[in-house]
This record gives sequence, C-alpha cells and structure tokens, in this order.
Amino acid sequence: MTNEGQAGEGGAALQPYKDVAVGRPKDPDLSPMSQDEREAYRETVGKLRELVKKAEKGTKKAVPEIREILREHPHLCWRLSNLSGLTEGALIDRMSRDEDLASKELMKRQLACMREEVAGDDPSPLERLLAERVVATWLQVQLFEGIYASSMSKGMTLDQADYHQRRIDRAHNRHLSAVRALAQIRKLGPAVQINIAEKQINNAG
Amino acid sequence: MSPWERRERGGLYYTRSRKVDGRVVREYVGGGVLGELAARMDAEERRRRDEAAAAWREERDHLEGLAGLLDGFCEDVETMTRAALLAAGFRRHKRGEWRKRRRD
Repeated sequence: MTNEGQAGEGGAALQPYKDVAVGRPKDPDLSPMSQDEREAYRETVGKLRELVKKAEKGTKKAVPEIREILREHPHLCWRLSNLSGLTEGALIDRMSRDEDLASKELMKRQLACMREEVAGDDPSPLERLLAERVVATWLQVQLFEGIYASSMSKGMTLDQADYHQRRIDRAHNRHLSAVRALAQIRKLGPAVQINIAEKQINNAG
Repeated sequence: MSPWERRERGGLYYTRSRKVDGRVVREYVGGGVLGELAARMDAEERRRRDEAAAAWREERDHLEGLAGLLDGFCEDVETMTRAALLAAGFRRHKRGEWRKRRRD
C-alpha cells in the first residue's frame, strides 16, 4: 500500500512509502533495545518533551529544534512501537496463565486486528502510533475491570475496592484521551509530518 | 503488652485487646487450655492477615508497575504527537484544540 501520487494542499506530491502492518513493522530496529539505546531514547524523548513544553508556552525558537530532532531521529516512532509491544506483552502476561500460550497468541492476534481496524485504511505513521495507544489503553481498561470483578467474587477490603475503582477510572481517562488524540489528528487532516526510519512520510493534505 | 495476664492466684489468663470508640478494651478469654486455644487461633488469624496484606502489597506493586509501563508509553506518544503537530506548523489554542499557525 502506498500513498504515491497524492498531492497535498500546497501542491506537493507525497513521497512514496511502503506501508507495513500496524504495530508490527518489519524493521530491524524493532528488536529489543539495548541499555545504551534505551538511554539514548529516553534522552531524546526527554529533550523533545522539554522543547514541546517551551513551544507551547510561546518560545518560537523551540519549533525548529523540534523539527531538527524529528529529522535526526527517524527511529523514534519505531522505538515507541517497540515500547507498545512490550507494554502489550506485559498486560497479556498478566491476563493469562503462564503456560496458556494459545490464549496469549489469540489475544495478540485479536489486538493486531483491532489495531488495524482502529488505524483504518492507509494510516499515517502517527495515526498508527495513536491507534496502538488506543488499543493498549483499551487492554488496560479490560485488565483492571477484570481484576476488579474477580476480586469482588473473592472478597476484598474497602481500601482495595477503592484502589481498583481509582485504577479503572484512570485507565478509562487514559483510553478516552487516546481516542480523542486519534480523532483530533484525523480531523486536522494529514498535514502532520513525521520521519520514519530512512523514509520521510509527508502526508500534506 | 503481652496478651497473657498473671492473675492474683498465680494462673495465666489469656486476654484480647481491641479498640472500641477510640478506647482500648480488654476482653478476658480464659486460662489453661481455653486460653492456649484462643492464643493459637489469634496467632493463626494474625498470620493469615499478614499474609493477605503482603499478597495485596505485591499485587498492588505489580499493577502499579504495569500501569507505569503504559503511562510511560502514553506520555511518549503524546510528546511525539505534539512535537509532530508543532513541527507541522500547528499551535495549541488556549490549551485546547490545535490550529494551523497563520503565516506572518
């Protein structure tokens, strides 16, 4: 699937790119990160976070620096995808018994289908990432609601019930916020650029 | 304070202390075999409660760890999204919707 030939608002033709399965891009960099890679990733994201804060407060010179980081670190998106996979794996492990490999596999496949459905046709890398977040937060809601339901049948203290309720509320908020962000990006149209690996994805709308 | 109280006649008497309306109330259970049995039952109950509390702490730490993992991922995606929007020339209007920045 490519976006070749589509022209943006400014008339700029989109650069071709090969689409990859949602959440499971076949990229060598998706291998688990080494300690050094993790530190470098954290440092880059931390710097990006600071710059985003500054830019949102009106510091104009932060924006070119953000562009520079996004251009210089095209693997950030894959790294995030990697994190999503790790998070999902941890949630699935908690939801199924250790030896129940069939259930784990089934869940992984169901989530992959869900990711594709949420991401929609021909998603931009950012949409794909946001779709991954929607699915991961949905899974978290399921996990905490499931734990709460099973704890209710086993019996729990008021403090424990309160803890579970607060966890469920937070998970719901996270999920709604993830859905809102995806809807927002779609509403704004594909005018957002993001660098992926060696390929510049430019979805000018 | 030991739950075993020495009586005037020399025998040991097992007691339980509990709080009622903020005051400590001592309940006299009995001496001899009855006291011994009550002491064992209480010890067993305490052990069961300690185990349950430890299990709950472990469970809560595990859940917090899972939630923390997802929170970290969500925050990074949020950062990436905002960065991409800012880089594409959008600005956030009053901490709400994103609007395309007008070219000066």
